[in-house]
Amino acid sequence: MRRTLARLGGLAVASSLILGACGGAATPTPASSTAPGASAPAPSAAATEPVTLSFWYWAESDAPGADKWMAETVAEYKKVQPNVTVEVVSQPTDTLMSAFQTAAASKSGPDIASQWATGPVLSFVWSDSVAPISDLVSTDEMKHWLNTNENVYAGKTWAMPMYLLGIGLAYNTELFAKAGVTPPAGDRWTYDEFLAASAKLKAAGITPFVGGDKNGYLGAWWFANIGGQQLDSVQELAKAVVGEVPFTDPKYTGWYSILDDYVKAGYVNDDVMSLDLDQGVRLFQQGKGAMALTTDGMLATAINDLGGDKVGVMRPPKWGTGTLADAGNATQSISHFVTSWSAHPQEAAAFLQFMHTPDRLTAWYKATGVIPADDRFDASLVTVPQLQAMSKFETTGPQVWLENWIPPQIDGEADIPAGQMIFSGSGTPADAADLWERVAGTWRSAHPDELANWQKLAQ
Amino acid sequence: MSAMTSALRRRRHFDVTPYLLVAPAVALILLIYVYPIVRVVIDSFLSPTAERGTTVGLANYTFVLNDPVFWKSAQNNAFLLIGVPIMTILALVIAVILFDQIRGWRIYRTLVFTPYILAVPVIGVTFVYLYSYNGIVNEMLRAVGAGGLAKDWLGNPTLVMPSILSVIVYRELGFGVMLFLARMASIREELYEAAMIDGAGWWARLRYITVPQLRTVITFFVVIELITMLSWVFAYVYSMTGGGPAFASSVLELYIWKYAFAYRAIGIASAVAVLLLVATSVFIVVQLLVRGDESDTGEE
Amino acid sequence: MSATVDARTGRGRRGPARRFFSPSALFKQALMLAIAIAAIYPVYYMLETSLKTRQGWTADQFGLPIPPTLENYVALLQDGRIPAWFMNSVLVTSASVAAATVVATLAAFAIARLQFRGRTFLLRLLIALMVIPPAVLILPLFLGMQPLGLTNTYQGVILIYTGMLIPFSVYMLSSFFRTLPAELFEAARIDGASTLRILRSIVVPLSGPGFVTLIVVNAMWVWNELLIALVFLQDDHKRTLMAGLTTLKGRYAVNEPAVMAGMFLGVLPILLLFLFGQRFFVRGLVAGAVK
Repeated sequence: MRRTLARLGGLAVASSLILGACGGAATPTPASSTAPGASAPAPSAAATEPVTLSFWYWAESDAPGADKWMAETVAEYKKVQPNVTVEVVSQPTDTLMSAFQTAAASKSGPDIASQWATGPVLSFVWSDSVAPISDLVSTDEMKHWLNTNENVYAGKTWAMPMYLLGIGLAYNTELFAKAGVTPPAGDRWTYDEFLAASAKLKAAGITPFVGGDKNGYLGAWWFANIGGQQLDSVQELAKAVVGEVPFTDPKYTGWYSILDDYVKAGYVNDDVMSLDLDQGVRLFQQGKGAMALTTDGMLATAINDLGGDKVGVMRPPKWGTGTLADAGNATQSISHFVTSWSAHPQEAAAFLQFMHTPDRLTAWYKATGVIPADDRFDASLVTVPQLQAMSKFETTGPQVWLENWIPPQIDGEADIPAGQMIFSGSGTPADAADLWERVAGTWRSAHPDELANWQKLAQ
Repeated sequence: MSAMTSALRRRRHFDVTPYLLVAPAVALILLIYVYPIVRVVIDSFLSPTAERGTTVGLANYTFVLNDPVFWKSAQNNAFLLIGVPIMTILALVIAVILFDQIRGWRIYRTLVFTPYILAVPVIGVTFVYLYSYNGIVNEMLRAVGAGGLAKDWLGNPTLVMPSILSVIVYRELGFGVMLFLARMASIREELYEAAMIDGAGWWARLRYITVPQLRTVITFFVVIELITMLSWVFAYVYSMTGGGPAFASSVLELYIWKYAFAYRAIGIASAVAVLLLVATSVFIVVQLLVRGDESDTGEE
Repeated sequence: MSATVDARTGRGRRGPARRFFSPSALFKQALMLAIAIAAIYPVYYMLETSLKTRQGWTADQFGLPIPPTLENYVALLQDGRIPAWFMNSVLVTSASVAAATVVATLAAFAIARLQFRGRTFLLRLLIALMVIPPAVLILPLFLGMQPLGLTNTYQGVILIYTGMLIPFSVYMLSSFFRTLPAELFEAARIDGASTLRILRSIVVPLSGPGFVTLIVVNAMWVWNELLIALVFLQDDHKRTLMAGLTTLKGRYAVNEPAVMAGMFLGVLPILLLFLFGQRFFVRGLVAGAVK
């Protein structure tokens, strides 16, 4: 028996060593790539020896169809650059940041990574995990990209946008009609009009607003779309982040009272805390609620499920009086960048640029219904009127997705739970405000180095 | 080996064999237990983040002890401890019923034990659906007219911990039942026969024979489950609520994990780890008391 | 043993033979039926949901899947991740359990049968360590392993699991070895057998049941472990089954049948093992307490 055990043990240890060697982190091929330069490398200038790029990819949740598009893109790229193989590893949303944090800590991992814009990307920039994309791609190319300002720091652009997402307030025209609610003549309602409509809907036995906040993102959406409307700029938000102004100032957290009133008035679905964000939107797509905050992709699904004549979209209601109240809310959401430890930064950048070639942009739109963040995109491809409206919202005027402009820790520990407090009724608006302030204080004392960087952002 | 050499070996006062035999185990212990514990204690006095290695005295502990989320987490772990007597009594009752070998008891036994072999994430996610506001539990309540009892079991901050506890009990119960049944099988018949001759009824037999005979195994179960409630509930919380809503279901393991890996606050996470260690040391003492006496005797 | 004890199962009957229809028996039946249904319902729900299409489930959460479909299973198996995770779990579990068994056997033998300085201390230490929560150890282990490049590797995780299995394994095996008859060892020593020889020819062959139970308990523990697996194997294709399953709900947020199919696939192997080898599971898991 012992011999068997020993053999088993030996086999197990041996196989684990072998597997470990094979399954190790991104292929550490000796650096054979050309030195990074500011000029765009023409695709044919790549090295002739086989290169494998590991790409930690996230987009499917925002833009269903993205994974398939990426698979095609990789296949297409192989035709153009046969010696380059791109290994795409889809990242789950919940571990997107933590998985990369682990990689960043050991400075090993993928060649290309994806992180949400601004706050998250910059946190990795500051930990020296990102190679600035502006060093690897020409300005000519980059000027076609939209919303690049979301990842600018110290005069460089650090990551590449792929698509633009905005959040709109989708509504069910049939349910509106039933309750005698007329959609706004312009882009959006005032908040009072939104309240009045909600009251009418409820009176008609219809759930005015549906959503799911179990995983907390709905509350964060309210913050980004309505909560920041008293502010004039992202710098103003940064001032609270760095502690010059307290978060308990009504400018920052006063809006929780209106959310609280809205929830207490019974305008939100009962099971809001039972459902995740996507499941909440699904209620709208099933016609079980009159309004919902939706991305372009979710809107497209709703149009698919309910029929184009039953779905309309407007911008989120205007509540605040700050400059940001008029800004759009489009963001690139996810940004892709080359990691600082990649052995093949040029090849990686080349692949990223390939994702923006017109053919790929068209394919992207056809696969996901989300507009690419590139002005070379043929906007005439957007034929559905509601999506055209969203496109317009997303590309007209300044665009700010406020959630990007707070450190991830504050987002996770304050923004998200505060929303949950209100939706679940477990905390008052004052509690929510206190939470923000307390978490910001914790973050500041735990990350003095990041604090210094945010202070630069706040100027 | 020749008889003479081995005889010589036996005569030596210092035989290196035992030490060689325990060496690999000791090495592993040093690596996996001793080093981390020492390190975590040291790290708890260092700067909160990994970047700077400067000592900050008790600052991390101050932060932790002032953090409402820490206290909520500790409170939740403490709350779960209440589940242990519940689960013990339930398991006992079920074991007693099964032991009477009512028809089909073997099938019941298998069914009751099945949850214990299922993976916690699987049970967790399934219960998320079952406990959903419009999930089966509530639908059944509504169907029998008890709609007022239909709550958002995992989304309501007051109900979330009891709900999670119910899932833990659901699973751990099977273990208890099996344990008690196995031990009951070795209770000597004569005790029961004598009791019945004396006219002892069902309850008396239970109270004066069964339970006392089960004392050791009940203690074992209780200790294991108490430890579980402090140190092994991460998977339940992680798969069901992630600590939400708004920290209402946070537990100490989750708190450590978050601060260590999501927020990279090494000092803080280490401080909490030390505190958790201190809390579990109570059980170390209990464990040593219960089992330690075995270590004194070389032979049975 | 008295005549009323069932020779096969060792169980007895309390008191005079009961009629099936006595009120107390009926009550017990009803109670057990209710409990058993409650116990098995989640598994049933998982299975039932997994056989529905996405739309089918939205339309009817609770009823039977009509017609049942295997499309979720097909999709998940084609996707390949669940089988990959499964193999990862198999690798990690078998390697760490095997290693721990070998190491623990050596140490347990020494503790059980040999006298040496520090023996009591070591045993007491092991008993104390059994109680340490992994959550306390994950951070320093991670920080220690990172510079060594052991994080996110199979070797690292196997090392950790092996180490964590040691206290319980040594404790259990040493208890078991102590029950082996002393005369055998005396005889072997008189014959001049070396320690290794004793281990090989006496201890191991006689300890079959002990090893079986230890392996079952250890394997179940490693298989079901989540926290360490999450932290130390982050690459999607290296994940253990448990860690991978936790990502399914997020990935298929609005496809509940797919999630349930994934969950069911995840527990199917253990479920099958259990149904066919119930005896081993039970014996193994209760062995620690029942002497």
